[in-house]
Amino acid sequence: MFLLLAVVGMAFDMGRVYIARNEAQIFADAAAMAAAKQLDGTAAGLDRARAAVAAMPNRWNLGTESFTGVVTEFSTDGQQWDAKPKDVAGLHFARVTAPDNHVEIMFLRAVGGPQQFTVPARAAASTKPVRLTQ
Amino acid sequence: MKRERGHAMLELAVSAGVMVSCLVGTFQFGYTFYAYNQLVTAVGNGARYAAQRTYRAASDQDVERGNAAIRNMVVYGDTQAAPGSAPVLPKLTPAQVDVRWELTGDGAPVNVTVSIQGYTMDAIYRSYTFNGRPSVQFPYVGKFAPVEREP
Repeated sequence: MFLLLAVVGMAFDMGRVYIARNEAQIFADAAAMAAAKQLDGTAAGLDRARAAVAAMPNRWNLGTESFTGVVTEFSTDGQQWDAKPKDVAGLHFARVTAPDNHVEIMFLRAVGGPQQFTVPARAAASTKPVRLTQ
Repeated sequence: MKRERGHAMLELAVSAGVMVSCLVGTFQFGYTFYAYNQLVTAVGNGARYAAQRTYRAASDQDVERGNAAIRNMVVYGDTQAAPGSAPVLPKLTPAQVDVRWELTGDGAPVNVTVSIQGYTMDAIYRSYTFNGRPSVQFPYVGKFAPVEREP
């Protein structure tokens, strides 16, 4: 019985976790691109970048749930990240982190697995073609 | 002695029925999730390709040819379906891929959304039809070429 639950859990729960991971990465990629696209060195551009991330329609959990707790950060050089930068003039990078997708684990929890599994995703995008060093 | 052997066979018959249906159900969910994952990946890659592709809009025909290349990218992982190439999932066709552009007033693309419409996947106990899922939107970051023609 233990073994059967473990096998069922592997197929069912791991399948969902892998899908959520993919969905989160695609969301982060698209949101980072949408944010970077809006950056123009002004505070208004920053607001538009945040709005673009918030308006991103990509979902997770088999395309049913919106992402929550999304963090949008900006940077001038791709090294130092700041969610609320004071100097907006030289910002060329946007980074989006989607940390908050808790996949409910249904079967594996019965054999000692976790109740939830989180697969965070992060992506950075730039307005200029540069090499990202991370 | 004889009676006990009968019990054992009955037990096996009952428990095997339960076990086999459990395993088949597991396979069904596992395979469906695997297939959905393939679909999400393909749609995401196709949408990313669409977002970076030059949007040639000399005529509706050119836009449609561009869309056809994007659909092929989702289904075959290539802009053109090479002869004999297999789709990422059985029976997935380019016609089941929906490419939607969000344009500004002067026809420049802002966003592109790629989704699956009416793809039915056979699992053992039942089949699943995906309508509008998975759906991925990307911001358009490519070059807008309003007078160029699709080669």
